[in-house]
Amino acid sequence: MAWAAEDLIRQMAEGDSDACGRFYDRYARLVYPLILRIVQDSADAADVLQEVFWEAWQAAARYDPARGSPEAWIVMRARTRAIDRVRAVRRRGETFVAPLDEAMAADRGDPAQRAADRVVVADVLERLPEHQREVIELAYYGGLTQTEIAERLKQPLGTVKTRMRTGLVRLREIMKPAT
Amino acid sequence: MTHEPYETQAAVYVLGALDGEERSQFEEHLAGGCVECAEAVREHAETLADVARDAPPMIPPAHVKTDLMRRVSATGSARATRRRSWLRWAAVSAAAVVGVSAFAAGFVASRYEARIGAMARETARVRAELHRQEAELRDRLAVAQGVNDLLSDPAARVVALRGSGPGDEAWGRLVWDDAKGGYLVVANVPAAPAGKVYELWTISGGQPRPAGLFTVDASGRATHPVAPTRSPVDVFAVTLEPAGGVPAPTGPIVLASAK
Repeated sequence: MAWAAEDLIRQMAEGDSDACGRFYDRYARLVYPLILRIVQDSADAADVLQEVFWEAWQAAARYDPARGSPEAWIVMRARTRAIDRVRAVRRRGETFVAPLDEAMAADRGDPAQRAADRVVVADVLERLPEHQREVIELAYYGGLTQTEIAERLKQPLGTVKTRMRTGLVRLREIMKPAT
Repeated sequence: MTHEPYETQAAVYVLGALDGEERSQFEEHLAGGCVECAEAVREHAETLADVARDAPPMIPPAHVKTDLMRRVSATGSARATRRRSWLRWAAVSAAAVVGVSAFAAGFVASRYEARIGAMARETARVRAELHRQEAELRDRLAVAQGVNDLLSDPAARVVALRGSGPGDEAWGRLVWDDAKGGYLVVANVPAAPAGKVYELWTISGGQPRPAGLFTVDASGRATHPVAPTRSPVDVFAVTLEPAGGVPAPTGPIVLASAK
């Protein structure tokens, strides 16, 4: 039975757990690769995935269709939770293990890992010029802010801002005709 | 109010990459009710969802749904839906078979009973939650009043605690009066691992004395009342200890004041 996603969220708000199951079936495959790409660990990703849908279940009554589609709602939640998770790991990692930059450098050096990353990277990002794609990926998948990206890339903050804004505007243009 | 800078910031904001003053200024502007920016935020959120949709879908491990549904069922009412579809079936039958109509009425009644039951449970839950929040607020108010009283006391001092080891980014402030005791306020403290708890120490003449256990909330904050000590305190320190606390520090120092 095809339910409109908005209806599913409304039924979830009414406490209908079957609707929650159907909502999960519809969106888990969409957000799982995104979470996995961000947290880089399948056990963590499974954890975050469950948390995202659990919170969606609890927050269903506050969903306002006027403020965005169900996809945008769940994707935003998934990114936020996944990034929270990496940031928490990063905080622990900075005190106990290697600094993030070294970890990222090691990560970058492993071609198998990079290839695996590529698989779950959205094709559309590949259509952006390299320097715009780089800053957007660091924010979208890495959860870094403009200032953090500027530090990481050793680029002036202004340059990073310009690349990011240009890239995002371009991204929206690419996406628009498709929808 | 002009839009230029904000409108371009909407995309960066949605991406989560806006930081510092720019972020707070943009949020303030958005909270001010700017329709154009709200629309830009909405559009960019859709774009990011489209980006996610553009990546190949992946099937998550099956246990995630099993675990999720176990949690969800404990709070929801799967039965409500099942009754609804039964009801539809019953209604159709009732049109053909007169005898069934009484049966259908039974379903209608049971459906509403279930609804009323669910509403009563919900009301009870909300009431319990309100009581809990009220108690929590009362506790917080008592702490705030205590801190306030201390701050207006000329003998009180404010001691800064710096994070170290596992709590590198943590910080703390202690409003303290040797005679009256005080309050410790901490932030950015990582959640204590399972089976562990934070313990505060007052160190006088090189001798640490336990000054209570505390845990931090999800945002890494805590407020902890501290009883007065017999001798003036030289150093305050927080260590990570086994649950239940220990009489002398054994774990890593998470926060400490300067000597």
